[in-house]
Amino acid sequence: MALIEVRKLVKKFGEQTVLNGINLDVSEGDMKVVMGPSGCGKSTLLRCLNRLEDSTSGSIYFRGEEITRPDVDVRALRQHIGFVFQQFALYRHLNVLDNVTLGLIKLKGMSRAEAKRKALFELARLDMLSSADKFPGQLSGGQKQRVALARALAMDPAVVLFDEPTSALDPVMSREVAELMNRLHQEKVTMLCVTHDLQLARQISDKVVFLDKGVVCAEDSIDQLSRHHPDQKIRAFFGQESNS
Amino acid sequence: MNGWLAFQGDLIEQMPLILAGLMQTLTLTVIVSISGLLLGIAVFYGSLSHNTLLSRFIRGYTAFFIGMPLIVLLFLMYYGLPQWGVKLSPFSVAIIGFTLNVAAYNSAYLTSAYNGLDHAELEAARAQGFSSQQIFKLITLPQVLRLSVPALTNQVIGNLKDSSVAFLIQYTEFFARAQELAATNFQFFKAYMLAALVYLALVSLIVLAARWLERRYAIVGFN
Ligand SMILES: Nc1ncnc2c1ncn2[C@@H]1O[C@H](COP(=O)(O)OP(=O)(O)OP(=O)(O)O)[C@@H](O)[C@H]1O
Ligand SMILES: [Mg+2]
Repeated sequence: MALIEVRKLVKKFGEQTVLNGINLDVSEGDMKVVMGPSGCGKSTLLRCLNRLEDSTSGSIYFRGEEITRPDVDVRALRQHIGFVFQQFALYRHLNVLDNVTLGLIKLKGMSRAEAKRKALFELARLDMLSSADKFPGQLSGGQKQRVALARALAMDPAVVLFDEPTSALDPVMSREVAELMNRLHQEKVTMLCVTHDLQLARQISDKVVFLDKGVVCAEDSIDQLSRHHPDQKIRAFFGQESNS
Repeated sequence: MNGWLAFQGDLIEQMPLILAGLMQTLTLTVIVSISGLLLGIAVFYGSLSHNTLLSRFIRGYTAFFIGMPLIVLLFLMYYGLPQWGVKLSPFSVAIIGFTLNVAAYNSAYLTSAYNGLDHAELEAARAQGFSSQQIFKLITLPQVLRLSVPALTNQVIGNLKDSSVAFLIQYTEFFARAQELAATNFQFFKAYMLAALVYLALVSLIVLAARWLERRYAIVGFN
């Protein structure tokens, strides 16, 4: 049984069908990359996974439990699913340490001291310890993204979802984030990353899932997709060296 | 100088009344600044509700009290309500009337700060598993209050100045006493100049406090 199983997932916004029968598995320890053209529904897919959006039909199973049912405890679910955003979305009025401890104290019910210990551990893991009492406004984009990742990891999530984690970063910082994700992969952190940054995809994964017109069109290595896939559109998408 | 001595004499004689009036002014200002802020926060919170009935009611409330001159509201409550059998003291009318008015303004300031927030942060908090109430208390409110410090402290200054209107509903505050002083010796210029200087001094104190607040809560890259 995979950690996350998406079955025939459909999401419509009014008349517009954005996801049209997605099937996707994410297993423990996976580093899954989903790619696809802008507007193909990558963000929407992620948002359905932690119920920021409610799907129109189909099912999502998380640890075997169907989480698309209306009676699911959405807030408890979200605490098991880390989310890292393109725009970092750090709480600007809190310093780095408090950004990480807030959820530990208010959601996990840790004491302040316990939360601080845990947060400092996560910040050290992501080389952000020296910035613990800085505010988000004092950090570079790459540093912000690492704090956002520390904030997500501190909650001990079963999986971390990334929505275009590098598209607001310059190539050097993107590379840093990619290396970090590789390290976490080695540490067995389960990750699902959506992006249209081919560079990032190459750096973090051998295989990618290609999403278009609301369905999964292909799942293969980037080389296979760019050279040998029968669909010319897919070959073209992966043929371009950089597309960020 | 012309009438200086007489004025001084009357001033000293009426000093206890003037000081009592000043106390009334400060009491009114402090109370409505606090109650107006608390009610303003509550109104702002309600305006974020997904309940359309509530948010429509709140939009009506804000429009009504921002659109209505304070003096009209006070007269309506003090002279109008007794005709319906509701008789309130000048103090009660002043507190209630000011609070309703000030809260409408404060909630409008908070709303405009809210519209400028980075909504990705609120979304991130939702994704982390926080409830709407937690997000309001931990993210939204601390941020909008910080952003609104200048507007909210201006409102406190406004409250102090507007409190002089309350003498028209028999609330004997500082300006009412200044007027009595002027009436006893016809030294209008001196009496009102004195009043002006006192208001200016108080406003300066509020401005200093506001600057301190702004510095105290300033955050790099957040404004
Ligand atoms: N809340 C919403 N209401 C209506 N339409 C929406 C909403 N969210 C997304 N959409 C639409 O759904 C489609 C897919 O959007 P989505 O953000 O998932 O795409 P994406 O693949 O993440 O694109 P990008 O690469 O630009 O981030 C778009 O056409 C978008 O306009
Ligand atoms: Mg997107």
